[in-house]
Amino acid sequence: MTKPTDLVQGTLDLLILKTIALEPMHGWAIAQRIRRVSKNVLQVNQGALYPALHRLEQQAWIQAKWGESENNRRAKYYSLTRAGQKYLQAEESNWERLSSAIGLVLKTV
Amino acid sequence: MRWLQTISNWLRSLFLRNTTEHELSDEMRFHLEQQIEENIAAGMTPQEARRAATREFGGVEQVKEECRDTRRVNFLDNLLKDIRYGLRMLRKSPSFTFFAVAVLALGIAANSAIFSIADAVLIRALPYRDSNRLVMVWEDSSAYGFPKDTPAAGNFYDWKSRNQVFEDVAALPYGGSFNLTGEGTPEELSGKRVTANIFSVLGVRPALGRDFRPEDDVPGAPHVAILSHGLWIRRFGADPQIVGKQISLDHEKCTIIGVMSRGVQFPDRETELWVPARFTKEQLANHGNHFLQVVARLKPGVSLKTANANLATIAKQLEGEHPDSNAKVGTFAVPLREELAGDVRPAILMLVGAVCFVLLIACANVANLLLSRATGRRRELAMRLALGATRGRVIQQMLTESILLALFAGAVGLLLSVWGTQFLAALIPNGIAPVTGAGVDSRVLLFTLIVSLATGILFGVIPASRVSQFHLAFSLKQGGGQSGVGSGGHRLRDVLVICEVALAIILLAGAALMIRSLQNLYHLDPGFRADHVLVMRTPLPRQKYEAFAPRVAFYDQVLAKVEALPGVIAAGYTTWVPLTNSGGATGITVEGKPEPAPGNVLIPNTRIISRDYIRALRMRLVEGRLFESRDAGGTLPVALVNQTMAKNYWAGENPIDKKFKVGGYKEKSPWITVIGIVGDVHQAGLDVAARPEMYLPYQQQDFGFEPEYLAVRTSGDPIAIAEIVRQQIWSVDKEQPVAGVMPLEDLVDENLASRKMQASLLSGFAALALLLVTLGIYAVLSFAVTQRTQEIGVRVALGAQPRDVLRMIFSQGFKLFLIGAASGLAAALALSRALQHLLFGVSAYDPASFAGVTILLAAVALLACYVPARRATRVDPLIALRYE
Repeated sequence: MTKPTDLVQGTLDLLILKTIALEPMHGWAIAQRIRRVSKNVLQVNQGALYPALHRLEQQAWIQAKWGESENNRRAKYYSLTRAGQKYLQAEESNWERLSSAIGLVLKTV
Repeated sequence: MRWLQTISNWLRSLFLRNTTEHELSDEMRFHLEQQIEENIAAGMTPQEARRAATREFGGVEQVKEECRDTRRVNFLDNLLKDIRYGLRMLRKSPSFTFFAVAVLALGIAANSAIFSIADAVLIRALPYRDSNRLVMVWEDSSAYGFPKDTPAAGNFYDWKSRNQVFEDVAALPYGGSFNLTGEGTPEELSGKRVTANIFSVLGVRPALGRDFRPEDDVPGAPHVAILSHGLWIRRFGADPQIVGKQISLDHEKCTIIGVMSRGVQFPDRETELWVPARFTKEQLANHGNHFLQVVARLKPGVSLKTANANLATIAKQLEGEHPDSNAKVGTFAVPLREELAGDVRPAILMLVGAVCFVLLIACANVANLLLSRATGRRRELAMRLALGATRGRVIQQMLTESILLALFAGAVGLLLSVWGTQFLAALIPNGIAPVTGAGVDSRVLLFTLIVSLATGILFGVIPASRVSQFHLAFSLKQGGGQSGVGSGGHRLRDVLVICEVALAIILLAGAALMIRSLQNLYHLDPGFRADHVLVMRTPLPRQKYEAFAPRVAFYDQVLAKVEALPGVIAAGYTTWVPLTNSGGATGITVEGKPEPAPGNVLIPNTRIISRDYIRALRMRLVEGRLFESRDAGGTLPVALVNQTMAKNYWAGENPIDKKFKVGGYKEKSPWITVIGIVGDVHQAGLDVAARPEMYLPYQQQDFGFEPEYLAVRTSGDPIAIAEIVRQQIWSVDKEQPVAGVMPLEDLVDENLASRKMQASLLSGFAALALLLVTLGIYAVLSFAVTQRTQEIGVRVALGAQPRDVLRMIFSQGFKLFLIGAASGLAAALALSRALQHLLFGVSAYDPASFAGVTILLAAVALLACYVPARRATRVDPLIALRYE
């Protein structure tokens, strides 16, 4: 089965973690938010989003809680665990190093 | 703590399956509905909105499956499915399941039971601190016929003070018994005199009271004792106030200072109490009187080799300092575990090997059954493959089934082994704590589990791997026909049968050799007749019988009274009846021979006996005369010698009327005249050759050895007379304890018990192997007959006679037998050398044994071939051909 995703897996994880770092969110909202914030550049496919969420939950970077959505429906809200916060920081600085490195190469060569 | 969360998530997905499934669906539904609402808000009709949302989401089920995958429940899910399916398959063929479980359970039970014994004897730590640092130290007096001699106190003292390798060294005089008198019946207790440091060397502490102190262990100190846990409960009702109380031991007041912790049984199971040895200065300077057991604790990091080198150096020094006593006397240490396991070790290793073979045969058998079942199920499996199951998945399913079978068998086997272990406990040597019968040891449980799993994988992997190889199209095409796995499958089954036959031959050959050894021992003439003889011990309390005269009077009176009893043919006293002491020797000088150089002293076994002892045991008089009433105190000192002594000390001469004396020429002891030669008696064990031995009458002089065993030959059942004999002894001295009352035959049986046990166990395992092999051959041939029904039908139609068919099937079966037997015999010959230790009077290559078991197995194999072969002759060509 092919994975319908335009994003590298690690990148998707990073985006998810960063997005829910502000407040607990359900899957739909996460996808919406990433799309909005990236000005429609990053379209997160559900087929990639949910497995990623479940994987992160399984690895205990994030935790889930059932709560009421804005329109009074039961929704699964994801938030960072303490380990997840640290993981996010580490991954962020990793990403920055990597992107600036790539930027350097692209500029120079 | 992240991993904790991970595990709890994992467990949640596994066990709260329904909840997590619901949550997953809810989550997906919420997403869709949210999308639909948004679409409606963007101006779509509800129908359009739903369609668009669904399209955008893609396959809900695929997403769900991927989510489940991330939770890693799929593997377990499959496993659960396989288990459920496996259970159903096993239930569907109960006779196969029953047979396979029974075969494997027997194999596993044998392994578990033998493991629990091997664990106790060879593996589990002894109940002492760092028990692998404990050793026993012995003297090597091979030059005098004692390769492992009990050390002299003087040597012990010098080892203790001079060595650089031991933390500490403790000693205890060999033997030891105490008369406990006072409250209750007088009782003889098995106890040990020990140096005060014994328990600190062993690394154990009393459960109550205190340990010995150095000041307890000097001559003249107040008498103190430490009770064993068992004695404390048995005799003193576990009295918590026992410490400080006084008991009477050998007519001396003695204070109980402690109760040893449970499980400490040193040096053996019988020991019930310990008192300080209180060696005198003279004893600690004596290098010629060998009567100790010495136990030492190695310093941390010191190897046995280093210790032995150090001991050898000290032995050399002592040889120089005390040439009279220490010439040619070496010293060596043996790990305590090895010492306690003793000669049981090779027997247990042999049995471990035997049960492994039995289990392998059982595995081969079940693998064979599975192979034929797999043939029956090929359509099912081909279908699974065709529908997209990976080969790995199919193998996983097959293995799950076989492991399930093995686990069932393991559970049944565990129950069997609990029962078997109690029976086997007799194999555990005296110094090692016995396996507790009740409850299952966690180690045995773990072992059984591992063996079961390994078994399941072992017999499951062969059929499973074959199944995954076969050609899909071919299998499906063959449909419901009779044809089998193809030639490859036959070959595999043949190989399995050949292995079974080979393994069975090895086991049978081993059992045959052991049985022959046992027969040889039973038919061996031990030099005495054990039937109709009652023996008992009357150890005389030292305090009361210090002087020579009262001792002689005691023996005289007891013998006169016992001889007068009706039903008594002869009664005699001796220091040791056969099989109770291999040593008990004295250095002598033969008249007319040069004074032997140090290291060449003659040291015959010494038995101080009464006049009729030789008659009571029906020993053989070879030449001369036996003791008579005239050989009393104050007359010419006389002696009887055994044939070995006559041959060794007076080679080429007639020893009768020759003289010898105890000690060297200068010794003040009187010359003793040889008056007769008696046949050799196996003193040390039925399988041990006799040493030179002399017999001296107790009345003539005090030799330092006292007669202790009374042997009474009766006309009827010896036990029937035991009570009257005891009354006669008490009529002479009403406080005299009487111990170890038993027929002499029991001693003989005891001596052979462990061999008998080994032989019967090995025979049992061999019989089991024989049965399994028979079933194996039968199964393979009857399967082959079924497979070849059409072929046979064609042959019969073309004119083959029943005789031809019979021969065809027989030759197929017998070919397997011959190959298996040949390889088995070769392996057995190679392996039986390892048995040499355990054999007696039979070569490890005994042709009769090997031929015998081959013929036995051949007969059984023929029988196993006969039934299927007969069936083959009854094949009706019409029916057989119609199958096509």
